[in-house]
Amino acid sequence: MEWIALLLFLTIIVVLLLGFPVAFTLAGTSLIFAFFGIITGVFEQSFLTALPDRIFGIMTNATLLAIPMFIFMGITLEKSKIAENLLESLSEIFLSIKGGLGITVTLIGMLLAASTGIVGATVVTMGLIALPTMLKKGYSVEIATGTICASGTLGQIIPPSIVLVMLGDVISSSYQYAQLSQGNFSPRTVSVGDLFAGALIPGLILVALYIMYILITAYINPKTMPSNKTEKPTKQDFKTITTALIAPLFLIFSVLGSILLGIATPTEASGIGATGALLISYARKTLSIKQLSDISQSTLKITSMVFFILIGASLFSLVFRGFSGDEMIHDFLINLPGEKITALLITMIAIFILGFVLDFIEITFVVVPIVAPILLTMGIDPIWLAIMIAINLQTSFLTPPFGFALFYLRGVAPKSITTQQIYKGVIPFILIQIFMLIILALYPDLVTWLPNYIYS
Amino acid sequence: MKSLPCLSYLRQHFGAIKYTNKAQHIITKKKLNLIDNCISVIGKSAAWLSLLMVITTFLIVILRYIFGFGFVWLHESLIWMHGTIFMLGISYTMSTDEHVKVDILYRSFTKKTQLWVNFFGFLFLVFPFCIFLYKTSWDFVLNSWSVKEISRDAGGLPYPGLPLLKTMLLIMPALIGIKSVSIFIRIALALKS
Repeated sequence: MEWIALLLFLTIIVVLLLGFPVAFTLAGTSLIFAFFGIITGVFEQSFLTALPDRIFGIMTNATLLAIPMFIFMGITLEKSKIAENLLESLSEIFLSIKGGLGITVTLIGMLLAASTGIVGATVVTMGLIALPTMLKKGYSVEIATGTICASGTLGQIIPPSIVLVMLGDVISSSYQYAQLSQGNFSPRTVSVGDLFAGALIPGLILVALYIMYILITAYINPKTMPSNKTEKPTKQDFKTITTALIAPLFLIFSVLGSILLGIATPTEASGIGATGALLISYARKTLSIKQLSDISQSTLKITSMVFFILIGASLFSLVFRGFSGDEMIHDFLINLPGEKITALLITMIAIFILGFVLDFIEITFVVVPIVAPILLTMGIDPIWLAIMIAINLQTSFLTPPFGFALFYLRGVAPKSITTQQIYKGVIPFILIQIFMLIILALYPDLVTWLPNYIYS
Repeated sequence: MKSLPCLSYLRQHFGAIKYTNKAQHIITKKKLNLIDNCISVIGKSAAWLSLLMVITTFLIVILRYIFGFGFVWLHESLIWMHGTIFMLGISYTMSTDEHVKVDILYRSFTKKTQLWVNFFGFLFLVFPFCIFLYKTSWDFVLNSWSVKEISRDAGGLPYPGLPLLKTMLLIMPALIGIKSVSIFIRIALALKS
């Protein structure tokens, strides 16, 4: 009955493309398949009765506890208009350098990404605040849109991003499962902290590569990124920067640092981060009861959205397993010539393509639980696998014609900018991403060194 | 992925339709608004739990790192709030249509096609899910109440805490179901005109 599992997956993709909400599509379509399976006697009903227990497991999962508070922190920072202030003041200072504004946008993207960790939010915010400025200063449309899309997607890879928290949870249970199935009854564990540590160096290298690309282009083709030497930064600018930059930087470093150094759990760090964000917002006089209510409601909505997908995905995985879909994938990947390298390559390509249709959350909760245990059984390092998946997906979100980041930017970009210009703009960044993936494949130590160093 | 124009479209459209039986229409509309308001009140109240979560975590950290002690029940209350936030929030998130969707094709559909997609979506995907989850969770929840289940860890949340949290498994599909009825009727009415 394995072909039914495949049919289920394809049906879900089709229904998703029709535009019905993802969580309902995952849950509802799986139920319909299970229903017909039970009627025709090819599906064991007991698979479905595990659902309440699964959902309760999601509700009480201690790892995922950090997600609402990281979201809270990100929204608080976003609503306190820090990014806008930073862009204004930083660009005044960097404007005298060739490509300075581009670099500013990349750095702000990184900061914003680290605080929100939600791709859509970052690309939209950057599109709204940075794009008009870049165009006004005479930057070419391609450079401007490319930089914004690429730096906006950094949110997935720069810790503390919420997708790394989710991925950490899934990878850690897959890793446990893989070791248990090999007869190792005292399995080693992977924590969210490991993933944060693993993502740090590749994330920073990516930022460095983006900046290098901007500098080189500015040098070769100065027309695309004019610098303005006449404007001198004023004292006021430096003052704004200290207040606008130091506080969030301190916040992010203390959150990240306390997790990496093992002082605090991710949950504790997220709570402290959110408190810190509230203090910053209070200091910037943007905090009011109305604002607090808005922040809480946005937090509730994004949290509900994320966890509802997880609920839908868990129903899907029960039904998929009920039709022995996981065995089918297992047999397929195990029997490939070239063993783990081919299996990994195929998985990566599949995830890349699925990234056109599915968001990071869905890939993490639907696809990763199916493939990760198999790949980990083959002896692939869990942290390295997680980071490869994250960067791979980030690349997928940038790739025309379906990349999510492009859609988000298209949504907020002025009509005068053509979609082709956006496509052309991201191509260099896609090449950088692929280059990065190859580097990480050749030198896995770039990922695994820091977590091993910290936690050994 | 942004919120779809469909609902605001419905809202605009809804006011403009002339019905043969106007009185009845107004009653339906009132009932639907009542449902929406209830869901909205529940969602907005639950939202404050996220602020409470942040404050509680801050308190836990202060207690642990400065005073060197902690309470199991305080930590469990975090889990409790976390679960409650999204179990009560899913239906509220539906009212602003903020559940993620893949809108590559959807946005190019005509309003009418979008309405049909939602019509069939609610009919075949949402309602069966709500009914199914409610039915399968029934014994799971009832069992917890009947054995007066308490936290496995000593010093955890007192008695009704755990069964109450499990009851969310019934409340969640019920709220989604009620909210869906409201949206579904609006869709059906818009399609009829």
